[in-house]
Amino acid sequence: MSGPRVDAPARQTTEVSPTPAGGWREACLDQLDRGGRFCGAYAAGAGDHLRWNALFASGSTTRVLTLAVGAGRSAPSIVDLLPAADWDEREAHDLYGVEFEGRASLRPLLDHAAPTESWTVPVRGEGTFEVAVGPIHAGVIESGHFRFHVVGERILHLDLRLFYKHRGLERAAEGMEPAAGIAFAQRACGACAVSNSVAYALAAEAALGLVADREIRRARTLLLELERLYNHLNDIAQICAGVGFAPGNMAFAALKERALRLNEGLVGHRFLFGSVAVGAGGPQVSSVDADALRGDLRELGEDAASAWRELAFAASVQARFDDVGVLAASDAAALGVVGPAARAAGIAADCRSWSPGLWYGTGFAPALPSRPLGDVAARLEVRGIELTATLELLRELLAEPIGPGCSGPGEADLCGVARVESPRGETVCVAELRAGRLDRLHLRTASYANWPGLAHATADNLLPDFPLINKSFELCYACADR
Amino acid sequence: MFVLLRHLQRVRREAALPPRRGSRSLAIRHVDAGSCNACEHELTATAAPQYDLQRFGLDIVASPRHADVLLVTGPVTKRMEGALLAAHAAMPEPRRVAALGDCALGCNVLADPSELAVPLDRLLPVDIRIVGCPPTPAEIARAIVEFESNSRSR
Repeated sequence: MSGPRVDAPARQTTEVSPTPAGGWREACLDQLDRGGRFCGAYAAGAGDHLRWNALFASGSTTRVLTLAVGAGRSAPSIVDLLPAADWDEREAHDLYGVEFEGRASLRPLLDHAAPTESWTVPVRGEGTFEVAVGPIHAGVIESGHFRFHVVGERILHLDLRLFYKHRGLERAAEGMEPAAGIAFAQRACGACAVSNSVAYALAAEAALGLVADREIRRARTLLLELERLYNHLNDIAQICAGVGFAPGNMAFAALKERALRLNEGLVGHRFLFGSVAVGAGGPQVSSVDADALRGDLRELGEDAASAWRELAFAASVQARFDDVGVLAASDAAALGVVGPAARAAGIAADCRSWSPGLWYGTGFAPALPSRPLGDVAARLEVRGIELTATLELLRELLAEPIGPGCSGPGEADLCGVARVESPRGETVCVAELRAGRLDRLHLRTASYANWPGLAHATADNLLPDFPLINKSFELCYACADR
Repeated sequence: MFVLLRHLQRVRREAALPPRRGSRSLAIRHVDAGSCNACEHELTATAAPQYDLQRFGLDIVASPRHADVLLVTGPVTKRMEGALLAAHAAMPEPRRVAALGDCALGCNVLADPSELAVPLDRLLPVDIRIVGCPPTPAEIARAIVEFESNSRSR
């Protein structure tokens, strides 16, 4: 599964390149040609100082292209080159008033006052109709609105309208001390609290010029993997619920509950809230506690493996997963899909395979399914493989106690950027400081990256399969809405 | 499948759940008014084998039309205010409102104030208050079961 844990480079690096408007599209293309991968764009500043920034990832380095938008409030669109930038541009328009030249349309994303015709794709023809669902759903589900364009039961197209839960967390964090800003990143999402907090801590530390020591890195990696453990158990339970397979749903829900109780025992909170801090250590684990946790995790792993085997042999259930909600690798790459959803399509990308600043070391291999078809079956299989890998990582991590950590001085970046593999994929956090306070916090979570991919994967499927397809991605609304 | 069912039986035995009392039921409609998703996770967990809230006749229902209790999570964002009020208006009388979690109770809310509507208890009459960030499934279960048995004795 993975090689020896050689300590990786201590930190992720950021390079900022100011780019003129005339050369914006060429500069973005140049980043792609050099092997860079688009991983988000965000507006910052106000008035004459309004800026538009695009992020490109390459290994442990993130390049930030920055364009002074100024009072003209206009930037060249790159969405034809990079469909993955669609939501970023629409968000910058709705929240910062940036206009994008050269786009066929700039549909509202957060502007809920806009009429339905302005944010949906017109679908006409004999027998076509719309099914509007939400923002309140039938079960215990977060709020969001889906508009299905269907013929009979077949989905032609799905328009999403999220951001019902937009709380303006990024704006609320502006002006905070860097150490206090972490609460806003954590509150973005309960189920990704550790991923978002670690991404923020790494970004803020890069901006402050702090380097976390080995103990902090181990503690954070422990927390990240514990978060992945309960999330993957939850996602498998939810996929079972998506096809109405109650024994599978309940068995994995019970396992998830056990994982949450282990979290509570370790840090006193079931969702690991408050366990990550900027420049400081996470939970300390004595050798006695580490042994006990290892024992509990071994038992949990054995029960999970036996439940997984039963699920694999439930042929009538498995038959419901094949060829449903297919997301081809080319579409996943174009739309910037990340995490298990991308790996299920055969894209071997996982932040953990290079993650500096954490304890994955080198040689971590992204999980790939036996049939990387990008369907529900493949997304489920990736979760299963990663569950085993996570338990193995935890076993290795807990082989020795985790002591109090500290951080030392290092180089400070103009703009701190960190990328962390959350249970749903790559989460990017940007922390810009001015006069020692947060000037801009931007959190682009894996859910934000994957929602357009989910909408794409539903086309040509049956409407009653949507809950299953949705659960196989299991994206957070809170993470995207912020 | 039989292994899964055996596994579930064992979990239920270990949980040693208190027996069900009485014979009345309560239908609950959940509305997420801008939570961080942790309250939803815990509310879902009340149906897990370790708690199994349904044995008290407490069920999450799909429509406010047949709900007795509106269970609200989150600090009430401006974008959810309309849908929340519409759900409440659709409920038959008598109806009750429960605030689940600190955000719904207006405690320790993190947000840009301009994105929030007024706090829940100024929008709707709150009858049940369940504190916590998030409240645990046991706390949620206790609050709802206590409310159900108190309303019966009244």
